[in-house]
Amino acid sequence: MIKNVLSDIGGVGLYGIASVLLFFLVFSGAIVFALLKKKSFLNYMGALPLSDGTETDSKKQTDSLHE
Amino acid sequence: MKIDTFKYDNRIVRAFAIATVIWAIVGFTAGLLAAVQLFWPEANLNLQYTTFGRLRPLHTNAVIFAFVGNGMFMGIYYSLQRLCKARMFSDALSWLNFWGWNAIIVAAAVTLPLGITTSKEYAELEWPIDIAIAVVWVAFAVNLFGTIIRRREKHIYVAIWFYISCAITVAVLHIGNSLVIPASLFKSYPIYAGVQDALMQWWYGHNAVAFFLTTPYLGLMYYFLPKAAGRPVFSYRLSIIHFWALIFIYIWAGPHHLLYTALPDWAQSLGMVFSVMLVAPSWGGMLNGLLTLRGAWDKVRQEPMLKFMVVAITAYGMATLEGPLLSIKSVNSLSHYTDWTIAHVHTGALGWNGFLTFSILYWLFPKLWNTKLYSVKLANWHFWLGLMGIMFYAIPMYWAGVTQGLMWKEFTPDGFLRYPNFLETVLQLIPMYRLRAIGGTLFIIGACIGAYNLYRTAKSGKFEPDTEAQAAPLSDNPHPTGTGHRWLEAKPMLLTALSAVAILIGGAIEVIPLYLIKENVPTITSVKPYTALEVLGRDIYIREGCVGCHSQMVRPFRSETERYGEYSKAGEFVYEHPFLWGSKRTGPDLHREGGRYPDAWHYNHMENPRSTSPGSIMPPYPWLLTQKLDTNALPARIAALRKVGVPYPDGFENGPAQKELEAQARKIVGNLQLGMISNTPPDAEIIGMIAYLQRLGTDIKAAPPQAGITPATDQAVATANP
Repeated sequence: MIKNVLSDIGGVGLYGIASVLLFFLVFSGAIVFALLKKKSFLNYMGALPLSDGTETDSKKQTDSLHE
Repeated sequence: MKIDTFKYDNRIVRAFAIATVIWAIVGFTAGLLAAVQLFWPEANLNLQYTTFGRLRPLHTNAVIFAFVGNGMFMGIYYSLQRLCKARMFSDALSWLNFWGWNAIIVAAAVTLPLGITTSKEYAELEWPIDIAIAVVWVAFAVNLFGTIIRRREKHIYVAIWFYISCAITVAVLHIGNSLVIPASLFKSYPIYAGVQDALMQWWYGHNAVAFFLTTPYLGLMYYFLPKAAGRPVFSYRLSIIHFWALIFIYIWAGPHHLLYTALPDWAQSLGMVFSVMLVAPSWGGMLNGLLTLRGAWDKVRQEPMLKFMVVAITAYGMATLEGPLLSIKSVNSLSHYTDWTIAHVHTGALGWNGFLTFSILYWLFPKLWNTKLYSVKLANWHFWLGLMGIMFYAIPMYWAGVTQGLMWKEFTPDGFLRYPNFLETVLQLIPMYRLRAIGGTLFIIGACIGAYNLYRTAKSGKFEPDTEAQAAPLSDNPHPTGTGHRWLEAKPMLLTALSAVAILIGGAIEVIPLYLIKENVPTITSVKPYTALEVLGRDIYIREGCVGCHSQMVRPFRSETERYGEYSKAGEFVYEHPFLWGSKRTGPDLHREGGRYPDAWHYNHMENPRSTSPGSIMPPYPWLLTQKLDTNALPARIAALRKVGVPYPDGFENGPAQKELEAQARKIVGNLQLGMISNTPPDAEIIGMIAYLQRLGTDIKAAPPQAGITPATDQAVATANP
C-alpha cells in the first residue's frame, strides 16, 4: 500500500531532495552570514542585554543575596 | 545629542509573573492527580469531570499554555522593552494580552473537564476558544512588532529573533490546525480526515513544542543568562547559526510522531532525517548557554538563579539529544506508545521550561520589588527538591517505557507472544507509576516553597511600577562601527519575512503532498461512514478522552498484528474527523476492537473494568449507563460531517438517521439481554459507545482481497522487526 502511494505521487523524490538542498543552502547561508560579522559588532551585540538604559550589573544582585 | 527619558512597564511583567506561579501549582497538581490515578483509579473522585481522560488535557494545557505561556510573556515583556530601549508599544494591548490569555485558560479549565474537546493533543480547545486565542495572539504580535519598530536600539538582539519566530509560527500553526466546521457552539469536526488530519496535527503538535516551549525560552536564555552571569553571551556568531538552523529544521520534523503509522513512508523518512539533524543546532545553543558561564562558575554555587539556569540548559541538551534518538525509526518502534515519551517530555517540561521559569522568577522578583531575595536557603531547598523530583519522575518512566516496549515485542521460542494479555505488561509498571508520583510530589513541594519565597520577597520590598531609563532616539544613534553586514538586524520586517519564509517553506513541503495523498490514498471500497449511533458513540469516546490511553493504529510489526490483528491502512481512515490514532498506550490499541468481545462484555467493562479485567487501572464509566445520548444534536453533527466530506446522503439527518439509530440501538439492547443485562434504555450513552467500539476496524474485514495490500505477515517480515 505504501508503495502504491509512493509511486502515485509524481516526483516524490523531489520533496526529499528539495528539502535537504534548501536546508543546506539556509545552513550555509547562516554560517557565511555569521562569519562575515565583524568582531567589534559581535562584541557589541553580545553585550546588549547588559546595557538596557538602567543599571546593568548583576553584581549588585549577587551581593544583595548574600548580605 | 538628544536623549529620551522613558519608562519600562513593570506592572505587566508582575501580572504575568504572578500568573505563571499560580498556574504552575495548578498545572502540576492536575498532573499529580492524573498520575496517581494510574495506580489508584479511585483518585478520580468517582467524578466524570476529574477522570484521567479529561484530566490529562487539562494538565497538559495548564502546564504548556498557562504556566509556560505566562512565563514566556513575563520574560518577553521584561526583556523586549529593555533590549529595544522602549516601553511596550501599547499598554492596552499588553493588558488585552494578559487578561485575554488568562481568560482563555480559565475557559479551558472549565470546558476540558466538561468533556468539551477536539481530542487533538495540545489543540483540544473548541472553536470559539480557538478564535479567542487567535485574537489575543494577534494583540501580542502587534505589541511585539510595534515595540520593535519604536525601539531606540538600532540592532535587534538574537533573543528578539526567537520571539519573532514564535509569534509568527504559532499563529500559522494554530490557524492551520484549527480549521474546523462547527456542529454547535461546543462541537466541531476538523476539515481534514485520517492521514491528513494526523499529519496536520503533528505538524502543529511538534512545532508547538518547538515554537512555544523552545524558541521563546531560548530567547529568554539568551537574555537572562548573560544578565545573571554579568557577562556577554559566549558566541554571538553561534547564536546566529543556532537561530537560523533551528527554526529551519524544526518545522520539518513533525512526522516523527507518526513513524510506522499509515502515514506514507517518504514523509516518515523526511521527518526522521530532519529530526536527527536537529541535534546540531540544539546542542550549539546549549553549549553557547553553558559556555556563557565560563569564568563565572563560582557564581553558580552561590546564586540559586544560576543553579536553576544550569539545570534548565542541561535538561534542554538532554531532551534535544533524546528527541532525535527517539525519531530514529528503529528506536521509535520500541519507544512509541510507551512511557519513554512521557519521560522525554517531562525532562523538557520540568527541567527546561520549569527550571528556566523559576530561574527567571528568582532573578526578577528582587528587581521588580527593589529588594533582595527573602531566603537563599529556601531557594536552594526548592532547587534540590525540584531536581530530585525530576529524577524520581524521569528514571522510573524510562524504566517503565523500555520494560513495556520489550514486553510487547517478546515472543516465546514457539513463536507466540510471551505476554498476550496487555494488562500483564501494565501491571508490571505499577511500582514505577508510584515512584513517578513521588517525583511529582517533590517537584510540587519545591514549587510551593518557591512561591512562598517569592511572596515573602515581594512583601519585603516596594514594587516599582515603572523603571525610568534613558537612550538616544534611533535617528540620532548611529552604530559606532558603521553598517557593514549588519543590515539584517536593523530591519525587523525583513527578518520577520525571512523567518516566515523559512517556516512556510518547511510547512508547505510537508503539507502540499498532504493534498496529493488525498487523491492517492487507495480507496478501500468496503470502508463506509459511521452510522448515526456510531457517530454519537464516537463523540462520547472523544469527550471522555479515551484517545489519551488507547491508540487506534496497529503498526506493521508481527508483535502487533499477533496481538491486535491486521495492521492499519491509510484507506481505513478516510472518514475519521478527527483521526484518533493516539500517542500512548496505557491500555491496548483499539483499532481492531470491533467484534472482539460481545456487547455485554463492553457494558460490564465500562461499568467496572475490573469485573472483566482483574487489576485493570482503567477507571469505571458508570455515568455512561445512566446518561442519555444527545440525539437532538444528531442532525447538526451529520450536516457538519457532510460539509467536511463524509458522504451522507442529502436529508439523511432528517428522519432516516434517527430511524437507523433506533434500529441499531434496539439490536444492541437485545444483545445485552442475551448477556443477562436487562432494562438498558436504548438511548443510554453506553449503547452509542458499544456501537462505536464494535464498529472499530471491522470494515476492512468485509473487503474482498485487494491487489496492492500486502498481507500482514509479509509486511512484518519485510520490516524485520522482532
